[in-house]
Amino acid sequence: MRQEPIAPHALPFPPLTRGWGWLAWFSTTDHKKIGILYMVTSLFFFGVGGIEALLIRIQLAAPDGKVLTPQEYDAIFTMHGTTMIFLVVMPIFIGLANYLVPLMIGARDVAFPRLNALGYWVFVLGGIVLYLALFTGSLANAGWFSYAPLSEAAYSSRPGVDYWIVGLIETGVGTIAAAVNLLATIVRYRAPGMTWRRMPLFVWMMMITSLIILYALTPLNAGLIMLLGDRLLHMHFFRANVSGGSAILWQHIFWFFGHPEVYIMALPAFGIMSEVVPVFSRKPIFGYTFVAGSGIAIGLLSFAVWVHHMFAVGLSTPMNAAFSAASMLIAVPTGVKIFNWSTTMFRGRLRMTSSMYFAAAMIIQFVIGGITGVMFASVPIDWQLTDSYFVVAHMHYVLFGGSMFGLWAGVYYWFPKITGRMMSERLGRWHFWLAVIGFNMTFFVQHILGLLGMPRRVYTYPGLPDYAALNLISTIGAFILGIAVLLFLWNLVSSFRHGEEAGDNPWDAWTLEWATTSPPPEHNFEKLPPVRSARPLFDLNHPEYADHARSSREAKA
Amino acid sequence: MTTANSSAQTGPTMNRHKVGMLFFISSEIFFFLTLLSSYAYLSGAFGNLPHQSLAVPRTFVFSLFLFSSSLTIWFAERAFHRHRYGAFRWWMLATMLLGLIFLSGQAIEYTELIRTGITLNYDVFSSAFFTLTGFHGLHVITGLVMLGSLTGLSFAGKLGPENESAVATISYYWHFVDAVWVAVFTVAYLIFI
Amino acid sequence: MHNLYSTVASVLSPASPYAADIGRLFWITFWISMVILVAVSAFVIFNLIRYRDRGQEGLPPQTHGNMVVEVTWTAIPLAILVVLFVLTMQTMAAVSPSSHPKADPVNLDVIAHQWWWEFRYPGSDVVTANELHIPVGTPIHIELTSADVIHDFWVPELGRKMDAVPGHPNTMLIQADKPGVYLGACAEYCGAGHAWMRIRVIAQTESDYQNWLKAQAQPHPAPKTSLQAVGMGLFNGLTCSSCHVVKGSGQPEGHVVGPDLTHLADRQTLAAGVVPNTPAELKKWLADPHSIKPGVYMPNLHLTSQQLDALVAYLEEQP
Ligand code: HEA
Ligand code: HEA
Ligand code: HEC
Ligand code: CUA
Ligand SMILES: [Cu+2]
Repeated sequence: MRQEPIAPHALPFPPLTRGWGWLAWFSTTDHKKIGILYMVTSLFFFGVGGIEALLIRIQLAAPDGKVLTPQEYDAIFTMHGTTMIFLVVMPIFIGLANYLVPLMIGARDVAFPRLNALGYWVFVLGGIVLYLALFTGSLANAGWFSYAPLSEAAYSSRPGVDYWIVGLIETGVGTIAAAVNLLATIVRYRAPGMTWRRMPLFVWMMMITSLIILYALTPLNAGLIMLLGDRLLHMHFFRANVSGGSAILWQHIFWFFGHPEVYIMALPAFGIMSEVVPVFSRKPIFGYTFVAGSGIAIGLLSFAVWVHHMFAVGLSTPMNAAFSAASMLIAVPTGVKIFNWSTTMFRGRLRMTSSMYFAAAMIIQFVIGGITGVMFASVPIDWQLTDSYFVVAHMHYVLFGGSMFGLWAGVYYWFPKITGRMMSERLGRWHFWLAVIGFNMTFFVQHILGLLGMPRRVYTYPGLPDYAALNLISTIGAFILGIAVLLFLWNLVSSFRHGEEAGDNPWDAWTLEWATTSPPPEHNFEKLPPVRSARPLFDLNHPEYADHARSSREAKA
Repeated sequence: MTTANSSAQTGPTMNRHKVGMLFFISSEIFFFLTLLSSYAYLSGAFGNLPHQSLAVPRTFVFSLFLFSSSLTIWFAERAFHRHRYGAFRWWMLATMLLGLIFLSGQAIEYTELIRTGITLNYDVFSSAFFTLTGFHGLHVITGLVMLGSLTGLSFAGKLGPENESAVATISYYWHFVDAVWVAVFTVAYLIFI
Repeated sequence: MHNLYSTVASVLSPASPYAADIGRLFWITFWISMVILVAVSAFVIFNLIRYRDRGQEGLPPQTHGNMVVEVTWTAIPLAILVVLFVLTMQTMAAVSPSSHPKADPVNLDVIAHQWWWEFRYPGSDVVTANELHIPVGTPIHIELTSADVIHDFWVPELGRKMDAVPGHPNTMLIQADKPGVYLGACAEYCGAGHAWMRIRVIAQTESDYQNWLKAQAQPHPAPKTSLQAVGMGLFNGLTCSSCHVVKGSGQPEGHVVGPDLTHLADRQTLAAGVVPNTPAELKKWLADPHSIKPGVYMPNLHLTSQQLDALVAYLEEQP
């Protein structure tokens, strides 16, 4: 095979992993090991958050549920939301990026390996602190956005909320460190030839995500510090009933973070989709520039829509109108992505792997979640549906149906690279169908519950017509989804032990991570193929179609 | 901080520290923007208190010290580039002195406020004011510690041309701390007074 | 036990012009959305079936994109959204108080508490809790505030929801076209009792409403039996009156901690919708409020059975 050796950083490479045996995991600065640590930690917390979700659903299975007290229920939904967002979806994508980004851009390591390790451990500390509150007998229970003044000492006097604040500040700091590292890596460590327009789309999306992290998480931390000042030092920021503080200011700060946060959880999944769909369609991504560019547009717009979480607060009409327009606008670049993925499939040669199944379901489910988002962006509709189960349905459609399904597509796709073994397709298919059925069963009916006037965050509900039946369906769905998740975990474990050997490039994929062994050596690459287009391995393996020779081919034809 | 990659420093990988610091600073800007806009948002409830209790002219004079330290650190960096390490050290010391003078100005301001009973938890204004200026002060202190370590290393003869990016990185940070004060001073002492 | 919750509280069965306007906007958006969803899903599924790999040789055509289609599928959604935005602005205006100047308005002050609603009828002394009586066919202007944390007033069939934010009074409009009972609830999470902070709107014809208002303006009936007299004595003697007002009980009206209990017997539910308002349920409530509504801010006063009977007799106007 014609392969020009380009060793990007030719000097000898010191070992990044010190220590012995499993202890080495604690001292490692290898981005791949840190990536795996992130992902395993997140999977653990996914179990925790999932069990919390099941408790929620058990309590709500029938009217007048008595399994949990309201205080317990409130703590559980607060921790469920917090865990899933801060300890599951965000870090799992950061972990995946940690593992993949250097490989995809042909780098030997990240820019700041030690900062990277530090970021991970600070994040773990934050996760521990969040749950450490258990030992005070009070978990945080003011909801994942802890609206003041409910979250103030006057109304939440127990220390749970303090732990919540400190834990979030720590995960925030860890995440910012990870983002700085990723950005510096992407900006400075791309292999020769990898211009911006040849960068894999997953790297593009992670770059935008990291920028959003930088500019969304520091405001959150500032707000959290103020809230902590209110609670512990009796300061006056958000104490609306006392001397001029403002409950609404907290909402502005929180959602200035909170909305970009949802794209922090969505863009990495968009990146995964933009890798998986082309490879299994055997075609390049349709409209590379538009997919990358729409990501930038989403990143920018995401900072200009936060008030759509506050339409019911009673802000001025111009304010509501402006943020309504901006929120609707975000549907345009997102739509561009959806259309480009589905058109990539058009006239392709679709290999229906488990990864591709998840990707296809992601498109449809994400559109469902996206259009309910646009309904909220229409202010009067939000005035009816905000804080109802319609919102719960929306957020799980985008987060679970979109981000988690996208993540699953990515896991089935990259698992062979990370472990050297293939995941079981048979288990994968079971996992897929149970997840699709369970997921839609759990959350589709919640749209109807919202329309029927069921508020969210209620620990129980009176038996209005249809409430009992719909909630029961949702609970049963959650358990089916739970089985799907268990099958997934089982697939991970059993494939890791006994899966088929994968080889370097089992999918005939085209980005650089497939140019090295599976799993890659500590220094990532022995040699790199030349990067002359966005699909360097494709150019190498299919010279007759090579992207970089496209214009000359077309000229001949 | 040498790692695998930096040992291979050629071409584009040279600036990873600078790049990292610039990203970090850009993130910090949003931290201060949040504090600043919260200050502005809450200012409606401040009443006359800022006007009565803040010493604008005096703080302005102390601010000048901080602003001029941006100049001295620039001279320090230039000296470093020219390998004039003696001059470098003196400019660094001057920078730190200016920073300390600024901090003492803040200390005077704080003491006076606290003497008149305006403590952290006195009201909305005091909460917002101390948080905003306090976090800036913390950044000044962090900057001073970094400047101090650089200067110390230099006196110990452990700072050479290979540390150019460390010097540059820390001076970015110092300029940033300076610039934040421009914003803080404008908001707290000029606009919402 | 009679079912207090046999009617729907649906956004899709509007009973006011405002809810109807929003409902219409919802349906328009819904059908636009369905078209988009069906189109995208059909395209994806068509691709999955039609272009599935059947083991053909070689590679499919390597198309990289097409400017014209990109512009098209940017422009079409944009156009749809412009239409949606215009409809949004129209509906927003139609359901907001500013476009319904108060000619001869019915005004209501609604004050949210953890976890019950205080309803005040300006212009009269009438104060009730958790159950709101309104005349049909008239826009009701609500002044909404909160005594503690953020709550949210939501009766889906009658109009939009709106937050009750401490330090930030809001105004909103509701209306009921037909007499009847309309169910609603506090929609903003406000602590342990959030699930049981329900709202019940009783819409009456104008004359029924006026009669009701007149009756409510009267003080609580004076004790007619000795048991009721004992009850009134207990109400004043125990700490009840430090939190509750009963007009006519002879106690001064303090600041509001708990619901006004004047004419309590008139209400359908107790404690913001947890249980039906019957003497038996009231007795249970007074014996141990927490077992009925966990977390509630009314203390268990450890009353004896005789005390309970007397209080129930007085409050429920039972012999
Ligand atoms: C992954 C996370 C994610 C994503 C991607 C989104 C995407 C969007 N969200 Fe969502 N949202 C959440 C997570 C997310 N959201 C969460 C967690 C909450 C609840 C927070 C809480 O209260 O706890 C929330 C709540 C929420 C609200 C507040 C609801 C309320 O509480 O009142 C609003 C209001 O506007 C909103 C809007 C939107 C919009 C307009 C989009 C858009 O980005 C969607 C754009 C996508 C599409 C529209 C589909 C594809 C497009 C096409 C096929 C083109 C053609 C389409 C049209 C012309 C319509 N979201
Ligand atoms: C990405 C984020 C994410 C994810 C994946 C989920 C997943 C799920 N969520 Fe979550 N949810 C949120 C984010 C998320 N949620 C947020 C932000 C809120 C708002 C919180 C708030 O209001 O403050 C919320 C709120 C919320 C509510 C509303 C609560 C209320 O308002 O009162 C409900 C109710 O049904 C719910 C259900 C579920 C269910 C059934 C799942 C299921 O999909 C879960 C499936 C997973 C499992 C069932 C786990 C199975 C695994 C095991 C059992 C094995 C465990 C083993 C190990 C330890 C490794 N969620
Ligand atoms: C510390 C304050 C406090 C005291 C003392 C108190 N209550 Fe209450 N009471 C409340 C609060 C608060 C509520 C509202 C509970 C809720 O619905 O969340 C309430 C609710 C009620 C209700 C239900 C009202 C309704 O409209 O549904 C009744 C009846 C009642 N109290 C009677 C009494 C009686 C009788 C006493 C004395 C024996 C008493 N309360 C003592 C605070 C108090
Ligand atoms: Cu009041 Cu929820
Ligand atoms: Cu949002």
